[in-house]
Parts: sequence; C-alpha cells; structure tokens
Amino acid sequence: MKNKGYHYAVIVLLMVYLLLPLLATLLFALAKDWQATILPSGWTLEWFAGMLQDARFMESLGRSLLVCTLSVLLSIIIMVPTIYIVTVYMPKLEKLLYALVLLPYALPGVVMAVGLIRIYSGGPVPITGTLWILIGAYFVIILPYMYQGIRNALRTVNARELTNAAELLGATRAQAFKLVVLPNILPGIMVSVLLSFSILFGEFVLANLLVGGRYETVQIYLYKRLSESGHLSSAVAIAYFGFVLVLSGLLLRLGKWVLRTPDIR
Amino acid sequence: MGSYFTLNAITKSFNGSQVLNNLSLEAEQGELLTLLGPSGCGKSTLLRCIAGLDVMDNGSILLDGVELSTLPAKKRNVGMVFQSYALFPNLTVYDNIAFGLKMRGDRREQIRSRVEEMLELVELSGKRKEYPHRLSGGQQQRVALARSLAVEPKLLLLDEPLSALDAKIRRNLRMELRRIQQRLKMTMIFVTHDQEEALMISDRVFIMNEGQIIQSGRPEEIYTEPSSAFTARFIGHYNVLNRQEMEAVFGLRELAGSAYAIRPEAVKLRPADEETAHGVKAQDDSFRDSSALTAQGHVTEVTVLGSLIRCTVSTGETEIQADMLNDRYRFPIRQGTGVTLAVDPEDCRNLDHGGAIGRCPSYQKNESFTSLSGSRFTAR
Repeated sequence: MKNKGYHYAVIVLLMVYLLLPLLATLLFALAKDWQATILPSGWTLEWFAGMLQDARFMESLGRSLLVCTLSVLLSIIIMVPTIYIVTVYMPKLEKLLYALVLLPYALPGVVMAVGLIRIYSGGPVPITGTLWILIGAYFVIILPYMYQGIRNALRTVNARELTNAAELLGATRAQAFKLVVLPNILPGIMVSVLLSFSILFGEFVLANLLVGGRYETVQIYLYKRLSESGHLSSAVAIAYFGFVLVLSGLLLRLGKWVLRTPDIR
Repeated sequence: MGSYFTLNAITKSFNGSQVLNNLSLEAEQGELLTLLGPSGCGKSTLLRCIAGLDVMDNGSILLDGVELSTLPAKKRNVGMVFQSYALFPNLTVYDNIAFGLKMRGDRREQIRSRVEEMLELVELSGKRKEYPHRLSGGQQQRVALARSLAVEPKLLLLDEPLSALDAKIRRNLRMELRRIQQRLKMTMIFVTHDQEEALMISDRVFIMNEGQIIQSGRPEEIYTEPSSAFTARFIGHYNVLNRQEMEAVFGLRELAGSAYAIRPEAVKLRPADEETAHGVKAQDDSFRDSSALTAQGHVTEVTVLGSLIRCTVSTGETEIQADMLNDRYRFPIRQGTGVTLAVDPEDCRNLDHGGAIGRCPSYQKNESFTSLSGSRFTAR
C-alpha cells in the first residue's frame, strides 16, 4: 500500500511539472490584468476573441494543417509500400534503408535549411518560399518516425510469414498486402502518423527559414504575435495546443474505427 | 513415369555456404514423409524451395507430372503449414479457412460448404466466429491446417508445425494430423527435429544433415538399422563406440570396421553382486546365451523416464547407456551399483558395413572369455 502511495506521488509530481506551464499560459490568456498579484486580478475572453477575429490566425492554422497533412500523406504513400517490400521481399536492403532513414536525425534543422535554400532558390526547381519545399523537407524530417513505427508493426505481425501464407493460398502480392498485411499494421501506421503530425505541427526552424512570412504557418504566426502581446500569444498557444489535442483524439478514434473488425455472415 | 513427387538434385547456397547439396527424393501419392534433422540442416529451406518461397540454385521439382521450379508460389498447388501458424489476425476462423477459396474465386455457397467441412474435420465448428488470438496454440494450428487443406493442394508441407506446442497437445495433435492425412490420402512432407514425432507419424523418414539426406526408410528400419553414427545418435540415443572402445569394453580383438552402434535397450544389466542377482528373476536370456558380449562396470547415473529406467554404466574408460523396463522384476539400482552388462552381438551394428557385428567374418572374442558357442564365431 505504501508503495502504491509513492507511485501516485511520482505521477502527480510529473503531472504538475508538465501541466503547470500550460496552466499558467491558460491563466495568462484569460487574464485581464496580472501584475503584482498571485492570481490575475480580472478575467476576460478578449484575447481569445481577438485571436478568433484575426483572419491571419485561421489562415495560418489552415496552412499548417495543409502542409502537415500533405507531408504525412506523402510519407504514408511512399514509405508503407517501400518498407513492406524491403522487409518481405528484399531483406538485404534493410540495412541500407535503415541508414538512409536515420540520416535526418543527425542533421540539424538549420544546416538542412541552408542547404535546401541554396539548392532550391534557383536552378531548375525554384521552390524556396513555397509550400512545396516545406512539404519536401517535412517528408525527410518524419522519415525516422514513420520508418520505426511501420517496420515494428510489420515485425510484430510477422508480415513476411503472413505474406507467404497468403501467397501460397493463391493471393497475388497486391492482394496479400491489401487483405492481410495492411489491416494488421494499421495501428502501427496510426502511431507513426500521430507522432509525425505532432512533430511537424510544432516544427519551427525549417518553417521559418524555408518559407517564413511568404507562407505563414501557425508557428510563424505565433512567433510574430509574441512580440506584440503576451496575452494574445498565450491565447494562440493554448488554442494551438487544444487543436493538436483534439486532432490527436480524432485520429485515435478514427484509428479504432478503421481497425474495428467486421462481422462475418 | 516416375513418382508422384520427385525432387532431383536440389542445390542451394546462401552467403557462400551450401545449404542444400544435390538433394533428391521421391514420394508416392498419399505418403507422409518426414524430413528429420537437427536445426540448420537445411530442412526448412528445402520446404521453402518446394513451396516457391525461396529460390533454389539448381535442380528440378516434379509434382504430378508438372515441373514446379519455374512456377510462382501461388501457382504450384502446394500448401504449407508454418510453425508460427501464420493465421491472419484480422480474420475470423471462418474467414481464415475461406481465404484460399475466395482467392480462387469459388462461389459463396461452395465456400461455405467447404469451410464447414474443414471445420468439422479439425473439430472446430464451434469456433468459426472467433479470432485467432482467442484460440489456444493447438486450436490455431488446427485452423492453419484446415486453411491449407481447404484448397485441396496436391502436396502439403508442414514446417515444424507442432514445435511451438506443449508436450501433451503435441502428442494429441500429431495423431490427429496422421488420422486426417490418412483419411484424405494427402501427400505430406513433414519437417521436424523431434525423432519421436518422426517415427510415430511417418510412412517414411528421411534423415537430413548438412543439406543432404543421410538415410531414408520406414520408421522401424531407420530405428533398428542406422547406417551412420549420425543417424544412430540422432534417432535413438544409441551408444556409438569406435573400434578401440568396443574392443576394450567387451574384451574383443581384431574387429572389422571402425564404429559400432548399440541400442540402449539391447544392453542387459544384472547386479554384479551374486546375492542380489539370485533374488532377481532371470528374465534376460542374454546372460544365459554364452555368445553374449559381457563387461563389468558400475552405474554412474540413473534417470527414470517413466516406463523405462536409463542407466549410465561406466566400464573403465567408456560410458554405456542401458535402458531397462521399469517393472517389478528389476533389481534395485542406484548410483554406484556394480553391474554386469550383456549384449547380444546381433544387436551391435557395424556402422561401416551395415548389419550386425556378428556377421563380420573377423569377429573374434578374447581368450579370457571362454566357451563361445555357435558356429558364427571363432574362439581362440
């Protein structure tokens, strides 16, 4: 029993540590005036109202959502089949793929951004400052997360053996993937997607350097507002956090819905 | 016209090492063959080559007159049951079994009746709506078997299908497997490293080592007539002695051959101490037959195997295993008990020539063992 109390204490402390800054931000976003008192002396919703009335906020949120969704979608479309094919049919290439995919870990965002800007400002594909360069860079950033999640899912369900079994029962490779492997690795893909999404949604360095004000995402908007009003940017931060929270919840729910097993006749 | 199923000179190397080495075998329709060998002997690789999951370097596979080696896995008409079951976790038992039929494009009614038939065959009709993870290991493997059998393959491969199950279920399931195989007259190749399993269920056993087939035959032949030290050791805890050991233990001279195998149950024990010996009903004729090879020793280890008691007897340099029936006639035996052991020469297999030691012309017994009877032997 005593032991249990200790465990709870640790969890509570951790929660306090994690949630306190968030709570303070929330209070600040709701405060009318907060100078020399422990708690704000008055409450108001004007900061949130101001934020919502600002068309720039909604637009930047929309842009962020678009960039993140496109990047993750692109990653799913390319990485799922790639990792599957390498795992099941070309295990010899696995090491190479692994090394390739882990590279972004070792590359600092700034270095990457400078390189990308140099290459894509001129030349045959001048896309600096557009949404496309950001999607391209984001695709690379989330590679390690997508790879780990998908590969682990494939290993856990023993995709190789499942594919073999399906093929011996007369399925084509595409059928084996679609009917047997894909439904079983969806939870793994879901986790990768969530992780990637939240990483991209908070990414600032690349967004700022590669596109900056020319394609204002919510991160950049938040950064700009920070210098104008602390209360407003707190409201934006809270809204931003709440948005990611709701989105994650929805994705999880969606995942469960996709994975629910159909009844047989 | 050849056999129903023929493997001819199959060769495969992997990373420079020869996994399958010019391997050939034949099977008749409705036969259950077992590939028996230690792990890493290439038996699973061979199955995967037959199924088309691995590519072999050379050789041909002929099934019912069709050359398989150029066909993709799905066109070979070969089924396979995996050690890990490989059931589809997202599908129910019913849908797992129906999978192959759906892929083939059977009609819904046809599929339903075939699946029901299969469910009855493996006695899982009550589980049709369950998902695989809700079933026990044994049940899962029965579903996997039903799934493979549903599409009526011409040949069914089983890759250590029972190895992941616990002992009791394994025994039940292998008898059931044999029953199903005989009922359907399905040609099967069964891979295992468990010699007991191989001997129990097969029509013929193929002993494999290092990518080659070392010996093949009916289970009783394989067990009683091992042709190599490897088979003798692998198949039945044989005592394998080289010539020096054989001569030293039994006081023999100038034996032909270089290695001999003696089954542990062929070694008869009797207490060295006469007083105890008289209290024991003399159930062993071997001791009365003066042609028996005898030796003195003492017991160093006693293991109770249930119906058998396995004793390790030390005779000077060499240790010999002896199995005795655990019945009420047996004399009390424990570590340190002095014993006389006796072996009929017919039970000593010469591993170079095949056949018993007694049939070798140069078999000679030492002078110190007197009065050899029987015309087979020359006393000096």
